[in-house]
Formats: sequence, C-alpha cells, structure tokens
Amino acid sequence: MDEQALLQNYLIVGALLFGIGLVGFFSRRNMIVMFLCAEMSLQGVSLSLVGWSRYHNDWGGQMLVIFILTVAACEAAIALAVVLTLFHRSGKLDIAVWQQLREDNQAAFVDRDLVELERRQQVRWPTLTPAGIEPEPDLDQDTHRTHI
Amino acid sequence: MNEMVAVLGLATAILALGLWFLLPRGAAAGRAIGALLAAVALGILASRIPGVGHLPAEIVFYILAGVTLLSALATIAFRKPVYSAIWFGLSLLGTGGLMLFGGAQFLGVATVVVYAGAILVTFLFVLMLAQPEGQAPYDQLSWAPRLAALTGALLVGTLTLVVVSVFENPDVALRPEAPFNAAELDENILSDEHMAHLGAELFSKHLLAVEVAGTLLLAALVGTVAIVAQIRQPEHGGSSHG
Amino acid sequence: MAFDFPVLMVLIPAFPLAGAIVTAMFGKWLKHEAHWPVVVSIVCSAVLSLMLLSHVVHESENSEMAVGWETTIELWNWSGVPDALAAPERAIGLTETGVAIAPPARLPFSVDVTLRADALTAIMLAVVTFVASLVAIYAVGYMHGDRGYWRFFSYIGLFVFSMTMLVSVSNFVLLYVFWEAVGLCSYLLVGFWYEKPAAIAAGKKAFLVNRVGDFGFALGLFLIWITYGTLNYHDSGGIAGVLGQARLSQTAAFATGGTATAICLLLLLGACGKSAQFPLHVWLPDAMEGPTPVSALIHAATMVTAGVYMITRCTPLYMASVDAQYAVAIVGAITCGLGGVIALTQTDLKRVLAYSTISQLGYMFLGLGAATFASITAGMFHLLTHAFFKALLFLSAGSVMHAMGGIIDMRRFSGLRRIMPITHWTFLFGGLALAGVIPFAGFWSKDAILGAVNAKGQEVSLYIPLYWVGMITAFLTAIYTFRGFFLTFYGPTRVPHEAGEHAHESVRWMTIPLMILAFFALTSGAYFEWTGQLHHWLGMTPSLAYSAVPRPDVHGGEGDLIVKTISTAFALAGVGIAAYLYLGDNSAAALLARIFYPLYWLSYGKFFFDQIYNVLFVWPMWLLAQLSSVIDNYLIDGIVNLVGKVPPWVASRLRSLQAGMVQFYALAMVWGVVVLIITLLVWPALARSME
Repeated sequence: MDEQALLQNYLIVGALLFGIGLVGFFSRRNMIVMFLCAEMSLQGVSLSLVGWSRYHNDWGGQMLVIFILTVAACEAAIALAVVLTLFHRSGKLDIAVWQQLREDNQAAFVDRDLVELERRQQVRWPTLTPAGIEPEPDLDQDTHRTHI
Repeated sequence: MNEMVAVLGLATAILALGLWFLLPRGAAAGRAIGALLAAVALGILASRIPGVGHLPAEIVFYILAGVTLLSALATIAFRKPVYSAIWFGLSLLGTGGLMLFGGAQFLGVATVVVYAGAILVTFLFVLMLAQPEGQAPYDQLSWAPRLAALTGALLVGTLTLVVVSVFENPDVALRPEAPFNAAELDENILSDEHMAHLGAELFSKHLLAVEVAGTLLLAALVGTVAIVAQIRQPEHGGSSHG
Repeated sequence: MAFDFPVLMVLIPAFPLAGAIVTAMFGKWLKHEAHWPVVVSIVCSAVLSLMLLSHVVHESENSEMAVGWETTIELWNWSGVPDALAAPERAIGLTETGVAIAPPARLPFSVDVTLRADALTAIMLAVVTFVASLVAIYAVGYMHGDRGYWRFFSYIGLFVFSMTMLVSVSNFVLLYVFWEAVGLCSYLLVGFWYEKPAAIAAGKKAFLVNRVGDFGFALGLFLIWITYGTLNYHDSGGIAGVLGQARLSQTAAFATGGTATAICLLLLLGACGKSAQFPLHVWLPDAMEGPTPVSALIHAATMVTAGVYMITRCTPLYMASVDAQYAVAIVGAITCGLGGVIALTQTDLKRVLAYSTISQLGYMFLGLGAATFASITAGMFHLLTHAFFKALLFLSAGSVMHAMGGIIDMRRFSGLRRIMPITHWTFLFGGLALAGVIPFAGFWSKDAILGAVNAKGQEVSLYIPLYWVGMITAFLTAIYTFRGFFLTFYGPTRVPHEAGEHAHESVRWMTIPLMILAFFALTSGAYFEWTGQLHHWLGMTPSLAYSAVPRPDVHGGEGDLIVKTISTAFALAGVGIAAYLYLGDNSAAALLARIFYPLYWLSYGKFFFDQIYNVLFVWPMWLLAQLSSVIDNYLIDGIVNLVGKVPPWVASRLRSLQAGMVQFYALAMVWGVVVLIITLLVWPALARSME
C-alpha cells in the first residue's frame, strides 16, 4: 500500500471529524450533545495520531491515543457531573441559560426563536368540563394492573 | 497549487452550506439538501486525495470513512439528543474500524468498548434522567449556525490544504529517519503480536505516564463525587448535607 | 598636645552632626531634655575650635611654607572623573616635591573631601562655634515648651555642622554643597513655625532669593573650573589648587582681565545672595519670622557672613581684577547706607536689627572691596565683633519678645528697663558696640574699616565717597540703634496685653549667655585692636599672605586718628539725637518725619524693593505660570485625557464580545487557530508554490 497516501487519507478524515465535531460544539445547545461533539473532535485527533503512528512505525501515537482515552473518560465523568448540577439548577440542558461570564453591563442574550417555540408548545386550548354523571370508580383497577 | 486552492475553496463553501442546512434551525426544512451538499463536499475532497494503491483496501477505507463522517454529520444534524447519541455511536464504530484498518487493533476495540460501551451509555442515561420527553425547544435551534458552519468548514479547508500542500511539496521530508520499509512495519505495528508490543511499550517506556493517568482518573472520580454531592434537592428540603 | 590636627579638624564638624542625628532620632523621647545632645556637642565643638585656633597660631608662627601656613587632611574622594578637561592655560602641574611644572594634558575632575586648617578657617570656626554654643544655651530657655523643641535643636546641630564644614572644606564644590546646606537649615529654621503663613512665605522668599545668588555662584565655579582646571583650594594630586601654595608663590598665576572680573563678579553675586547685600538683601528682614535664636545665630552672626568668608578666601582672585574690587566696595557701600536709612523708621525691633545687620555686612563688603590687607582684615575683624554684638542684640530683643508674649512691635511697649534690668543692660552694651561708641567692640572694627577705606581713598579717589557713605551710616547707626533702645526700655512702662500680668526678666538660661556676649561686645574689639593679634593671625592665612595683597601702613597714622575722631563724634551725635528725639515725647521725631516726608516715606517703605521686585520679576513669572497652567490644564491635559479615553472607547466596543456564551468563546478560539494555520502553514506553502 502507498503508506503516504494512507497517512494523507487518515489526516483528512481526522480533520473532517474534528471539524464536524467543532461545528456541533459551536452550534448545538444541548449540553449533552455538545459533549458528544467534543468527544467526536477527540476522535478526529485520535485518528490522525493512529495514522502517524503507522506511518512512522512508532508506538508513540498510539500511546497518546490511549492517554486521550483516559483523559476523555475523566472529562466525561466530570462533565456529566457538571451537567447534572447545572440541570438541577435550571431544569434545562440548554447551555444558553448560563451567560454569567458576560460583562456586567451587557444585556443577556435572548433567543427570540426559542421564546417563540416555547410559547407555541405551551399553548393550552380551553376545554369544557366533562358533563354527565361521574363514572363509578373501577375497583378492579385499584387492585391489579392489566398492562405495564 | 492554485487549482488545488480553488477546488478546496469550493469544497469548503459547499461544506459550509451543507452544514448550515444540516444544523437544526427551528421549523425550517432542508436537511436532505444539507446532507446532499455535505456528501458532495466530501466527495470533492475524496477526489483530491490519492488512493492507497490497493483497491480492496481502498474500498474498505472509503466505506469506513464514509460511515464515520456521515454518521458524524447525522450526530450534529438530529434534533433529538438520543438520536444524536445513537448516530455518534455509529460514528464511533466507524472510527474503531478505521483504527483497526490503520493498524491499531487494540485502540479500535478499546475505543468502541470505552466510548460506545461506557461513555455513550452514561450519556444516554443522563439524557433519559434529565430529558425524558425527547426533544426540548432548544434542541430544535442552533446558536449562530451560519457562523459555526463557516468556521468549521474553514478550519477543515485550511487543514486539508496544509495536508495536501505538504504532501505535494517534494522538499519536505516527512519521514526523515529512514526510507520506508514494509517489512519493518510488519514486524512492529502490524505484527501478529501487536498487543504484546503495545503492552511492552506502554508499561516500560510510558510507565510513569500510566501512573499519572491512573492518578488523574482517581482525581476525576473524587472530583465528580464532590461536584454531585453539592446538588441540593429543593423539593426534599435540601437536608442532604444534614 | 592632646589632639593633633586631623582629629581636631574632623571632630569639630562631627560633634554637631552627631548631636543633630541623636536629637533627630531620639528627640521625641527626650522631650524637654532634647537640647542636651546638641548643646553639649556644640560646646565641645567650641572648645575644640579654640584649641585648634591656638594650634594653628602656634604652627603658623613657625611656618616654613612659602605663603602663610595651612594643613589639609583628605578624608575621601567624593567623585572623580579622570581626563575630564583639556588642561587650560592657567593650570599648573606639580612634582612630588611641589615644584611647578607643566600640567598633564588632561586634568581629572575630582572632588576631594578635604578639610583644611589655616588661620582664617580657625578664626571662623572659633567664632561660629562659640556664638553657636551661647545661642544654643540661650535657646534652651527661649524655646522651652515649644512643640518643635527637639526639631529646633536638631536643625541647630545640622546648621552648626554645615557652617563648620563650609569654612573647613578645601574645595569649591564642597563649599557650594555646604553653602546650600546652610541655606537649607536657614529655610527650615525660618519656616520653623510652619503653621504661620508669614513664616512659610519668608522661608520661601529666602530660598528663592538665594537661588539667584547661587546661580551666579555656580556659574562662577564653572568658570573657575575651566580657567584653572581644578576646584581645590590646596595643591593635590600633582595639580596646583586655585588657592594653593604653588600658585600663590608665583607671579601671574591668576587669570586677569575679563575672565578674572567675570569670576569675581559671579562669586560676588553668590555672596550677595547669602550675605543679603544689595540688590538681594530683601530676604533677610523677612527671615526674622523665624525663632529669635535663629535670627541671632544664622541671620546675624554666622550664615550671613559666609559671603564675607568666601570673598576673603578668594582674595587672590579679586586681586586680579580691580573692577571687581570696585564692584564689591560699591555694593558694600550702597547696602551699608540703604540698610541704615531703612532701619531708621522700622517699628519692629527685630527688623531694625535685621536692617542693621544688612548695613553692617555692607561695611564688611566695603572693607573687602577696598582690597588692601588692612581693609580685608578689618572686614574680618568687623565680622568677629559683629558676631558678638549683633548676636547679643538679637538675643536681647528675643528676651524682650519672650517677655512680651511674642510682641516685638516697639509701638506696643516701652519703659521695660524696670521690668527687665539685665536685658536692658545687655542691650545697651550691644547698642553701644553697634553704634561704635568708644571703647566698645564695634568702634574698633568699624573704624578699622573706615580707616582702611580712607587710606585707600588717598590712592583711588572712588573710595572717598564710599568712605563718606560709611561714615554717615555710622551716624545713622547710632540713631536707629538708640531709637530702638530708648523706645523699648525708656518712657512710661507699657506692656502689651499678650504678655499678660507676669511680664518679667528672662530665665537664667537666657540671661547668662547675654552677659557673656555683653562682655565680649565690650572687650573683644579693644583686645584685638591693641594686641593686633587678629591681623597677625589672618596675615598667616595663605590667601591673605599672598604677596599681591597691598599692605600700606595705616595704623597709627594721622589719617587714622582723624577717622577715629570723626566717627566718635558722629556716634556720640547720633546717640544724642536719638536721646533728644525719642527720650520723652516723640513729637520732635514726628515733626522731622513730616519735614523729610519723601525720605521718611521711602525709608518706611524700605525703598519699595519688594514692590519693585514684585512688578519686575514676580508678576511676569506669575503670568507665565498662569499661562503654563492654562496650557497644562487644557492643552496637555486635554491630549492626555484624549489618549486616556481611547482604551475605554475601544473597550466599550469590544465589551459586547464578552457576551458570556461559552460557545462563542470556543468559536473565537478556532478563528485564532485558523489565522495561525493560514499565516504559519498555508501562506508559506502558497508563497513557495508561487516561486
């Protein structure tokens, strides 16, 4: 095989994976998805390291990938803990809730589209109270279940 | 060279447009167009890189790379985080395959096991814990999709340009230590005793780093517990700390 | 001999310095005992000075030197620049044995911290430390209870150190340094009561007026340096000093013509500033805002005589320029007369004495300007007697001021002789000495000057009017002195209400120094006149033993007797007129003031020097300052503020980038990465492919 071409292929695939991960990290707002994207970027780096490792016939690249795996595991653990903490504070996984890093006199960023979406989803059309006699309670339902 | 710049610029632009179409943008449709554009861009890129000179291997590589990249695109494109996670899993499988293909058997397997088996499942677990209703309003929107797509595509374009231009430049010696020797490769990375070599390397030369990494894992464990222990449950009166 | 020269010469300045440092460091804890370190050290210094004087006289008598006698000790080299100046024409090189040869091609600039002892220095040291110890003892009583008690004594110690160094150093640069140091002490002590606006203003004025003189002095030093290639008085390092043995024993070793005149006039300007000579005399009367012991010590007896000392020291330089001699004599005569006229009408007792000091310093300058050996030694003689009797007068006035609760305006009190008998007598002694009544000290010294000027006038007619100015001023001196004396101590007993009910004679700390000074005011003149010791001693100073100093014999001549007769007549007439005018009612004085109203008006207004200087110098400076202030406030500050507004403006634009969205930060980071990739990797690759 043409090892040089192989390395080139690996590098470009790695770069693409890295870039796609970055785009996701920039634009997706769900913190979980953001971290998935960050991991994807790490995969891109790992791929190029594997390519270099083969090209140079040296273990160094693979060793680095092993440590990347380790660090990624640590990062994932901490990130999940942080995400959970943040979720408990705001009730959302939206990263845009957390803007406290901004300068004091800067207005907070409010996504109008998001406001619109939320409003549309919370619409509750008025309903009439059901008329007629209150049905008999189904005693059978209290004692056992018919489905899970 | 100039032709290369032009082609890569075109690919970058198409990729940026495709990414923009792919990213969640509220109710706006166009994911199919986005996927098409992104695939075209990837195709253009693929057409510019030399083949590996062995047709079956090439086919395998392109299948693996395609799976990896397309599922990566799907990961960032799908609105429901659960779908994203599943597509990410597929992307990981592709990556693992590429690693296997690239002579890193242990890493390919380890990636699949550690990521898909452990990390991804944990992520899904958290997702179900936090967001059981599927997609939230904010999942249907992206933050600055145009800018993000452009930046990502630009980065990919420049990186590709660098890679291609470096390989086209005859003056640059990429492998200065020795002329290429396939037999040597077969004895080392691609040998049958790959795992034994890897282990020997890891636990001799990189022993200290392994120890440090182990300490890091321990620290991360302690840190995680410390962070999560701070969470108060307001509805439970917040008395978890006594 | 218990001490040899180096020990004595170092200890004399070292004692006051040590006293000043100890007082400055521990004064806060010593509180009312803070005077002890300084008083004891100055008294020790005075004793050592007298010992030094006797040693110097003894050594001088047996001198084997070519010109006079001197000794130096080099302590250390303060600054040295090798090969600083191409040797000028007047530079003289010396062999090991002191034989004059051609100088090296380039001369070093070196400031040797060298102390010297010769007759002039020894006499100055004795006068300074002796008067200073009496004043310091007096100040123990006078300053008692002041908040700045220890500060005062620390300053006094510092002053005595600076003054002793000023007369001891053997280098013009160090002379300048201590010249400034005594000026600093003067400033600190004039502004001692810094809560008083008048004191602050007076200190500032003294400092600024002295700057004018010091500017000239500094220029004079520069000129000496480029003319003679050295700034040492003595011969050292193979180069003949400006006033060293090698130069003095040669003929034509000093610059002549314009250079000599320029050097002498610039030095004279410096001396005018420090010694309050016309036209730089205006600071001295205002300096009376300081505590009275300061007025007595610094502004009458010692510091103001620094100019006289300096010119005496530089006599060989003045011998080279007749024009400069005339200038000194004319400045002296003008100051002498001016001070006398202004002193006639002042109502503040201390100001009368201040103008009298200016006038007496004018006598000394007149003597120096006559430029004969007799007249210069007479000037020094007058310096010595004046130190005693003027210190005595000031301290007596201070005693009055102390008893009157800080009031010194003669219109507010009278008839104090019954309340303050000792002060009355001491003031009388001082007054008689100042007025030049036989046989008090002032008579002998002033007549020595007048006699010498008169003798010079026989050769150079210019000095005849100057002599008469001096003579008439002697008459005025007697009038204003006794005017002050009669107004203060005679007439009905009146005491200002500030003095309270307990106006009384001063404490013994104050009266004993007064009596000692009164004794010297009576005897010092006659003693030195009869024994001739002072002239004899001064004649052994290298600067005055210089052969170019003319030595006509004036003593005992007919002219001398005439001078003495006229002067005695004038002095007695002055006392008599003062008694007639001010003893009893003052109606005759008021009548005189009306008759000679223009003169009275000029005198009372001090010839309006302050106002003239205000218009000529202060106002233009003030306008310039206002202009600068406007430019500074609007133009320069405007530019600075404009520059200062740029960062906030840029920041206000950039601030919106800090939106708090972490994703944006990541995005920006990647932009940076893209830029780096393009500039570091893509651009060189493209450039390579273009070639």
